[in-house]
Amino acid sequence: MSEKKFDPVIVGFFCNWCTSAAADLAGTSRLHYPPNIRPIRVMCSSTVDPVYLIRALQEGADATILGGCHPGDCHYITGNYKARRRVAIVKTVLKSLGFDDTRVLLEWISGSEGPKFARVMNEYTDYIKQRGPSDFKYLDSLGGEEVE
Amino acid sequence: MLKKFIKDAFDKGLIEAVMAPSATKDSYTYALITKKDDVDKLTPIAPVMQWNGADMIRRITKLKKSERKLLAILRPCESRTYKELVKFNQINPENIIVLSYDCPGTVHARNFKFEPTSAEDLLAEMKNGNISKKVRESCQVCEYPTPIKGVGDIGFGIFNTNEPVFFSLSDNGKEFLASMGIQEGERDDSQWVKIHRENREKWLKEERITGGRKGLEDFLSSCLNCHNCKDMCPICFCKECFFEDHSVFDYESNKFYNWADDKEGIRLPTDKSLFHVGRLIHMGTSCVGCGLCQQACPMDIPLYRLFGIVGNDLQKVFNYKPGVDDDIPPVMDFREDELHEFEGLFGGEE
Ligand code: SF4
Ligand code: SF4
Ligand code: SF4
Ligand code: FES
Repeated sequence: MSEKKFDPVIVGFFCNWCTSAAADLAGTSRLHYPPNIRPIRVMCSSTVDPVYLIRALQEGADATILGGCHPGDCHYITGNYKARRRVAIVKTVLKSLGFDDTRVLLEWISGSEGPKFARVMNEYTDYIKQRGPSDFKYLDSLGGEEVE
Repeated sequence: MLKKFIKDAFDKGLIEAVMAPSATKDSYTYALITKKDDVDKLTPIAPVMQWNGADMIRRITKLKKSERKLLAILRPCESRTYKELVKFNQINPENIIVLSYDCPGTVHARNFKFEPTSAEDLLAEMKNGNISKKVRESCQVCEYPTPIKGVGDIGFGIFNTNEPVFFSLSDNGKEFLASMGIQEGERDDSQWVKIHRENREKWLKEERITGGRKGLEDFLSSCLNCHNCKDMCPICFCKECFFEDHSVFDYESNKFYNWADDKEGIRLPTDKSLFHVGRLIHMGTSCVGCGLCQQACPMDIPLYRLFGIVGNDLQKVFNYKPGVDDDIPPVMDFREDELHEFEGLFGGEE
């Protein structure tokens, strides 16, 4: 990357019943969170096929977040437990092949946790900024640097 | 000896049909027979695995359970597939008896076409203590080359016995052998399993695909994106595959141009590597190691290195052995209290 300042894109798949509500709450409470986060509202963390996470990474995201209800609080009872297994699978595959598995983040953020939402988004964005561009987005492209 | 066993089973009324390999001009396919007179058309132990036999049983029982008593002769990897597919509700096991045997491995179907061999030849090499160099990579590193308890019903042992022996793997198998009037025998497959496992350990270390993007791109560089590997995979049984629904990958032209801007040029099709990573994510936890993905690849990409090794990593996370354990496959199951190391940035910090 030749640009001076690295401005990552982070795609968030946020459950409608919790993390999306927390995002709204953070907004109305005037808690700042970075514009790098591109939220997508989903009906439950379990509705996200794990392949969508890596597809976002290939299409240009530097990181992805799956935000769901705390264990025990899923609107559909057990969706978030299934989502956790899927994230475990995605991270394991990424790591196994030598990709950076911290580009996928699983967080439990309830609708009332506006401050937690803002904090996690800020911290993760800082972390990804330090880490630099993800090499997964260059998969099957002609660009990108070789990362050792 | 197996043919005699099958004929006797017909005579005794214990079976009404058999599924086993049968020779064709250049290969072996699975055949289904319903009469004792047709038994001689079978080659129960064949040197080629053109399809996974469990996938054939899936087709037979897809709409309705088996209406006749079927004896299926399956290699150990195929019986593990069978068990895995039963768990996924893809096979109805009712009325089916699975017989499996100490497997000498199978030759790549294309190699066999040009250089035929026989199971007897492979067995002879095996009896000298070597895994034949002719057999497929997945066979050389097979984790379970012999029948194991709880997988299938009847075992047929040919390693380290003067005479082949039958032994039961399940209660149904025990009953079956008793009704046949067959005394269960002893076999010792430990040495044979050991050789395979040593190969496997070495292979798991040495053939791992590393290096992230570059490593994966190089490994898949000649891939045609034909999806044959998926079509032949018995675990990829989805009626509608995520990766065949091309609308998932339909975009307006500007999307392609923007990517090309941002990524300094893109390779087309854009979903080539993603297909493999995605398939790993979908079914890697249940990969049974049959190696048919690799055999199916027209470009000779050693795909089992990808699925077998990453699959092994995945299966370790869930402490799961596909087709061996009685547990529910990881993608169909969950625990309330588990996997906290995958939560948060550095693993369950809150
Ligand atoms: S991925 Fe390959 S080795 Fe694994 S089950 Fe499918 S075809 Fe067999
Ligand atoms: S790649 Fe996924 S969606 Fe396609 S057949 Fe395999 S498991 Fe099913
Ligand atoms: S069979 Fe080979 S060429 Fe075809 S999609 Fe699979 S890896 Fe690629
Ligand atoms: S409804 Fe929020 S994770 Fe299931």
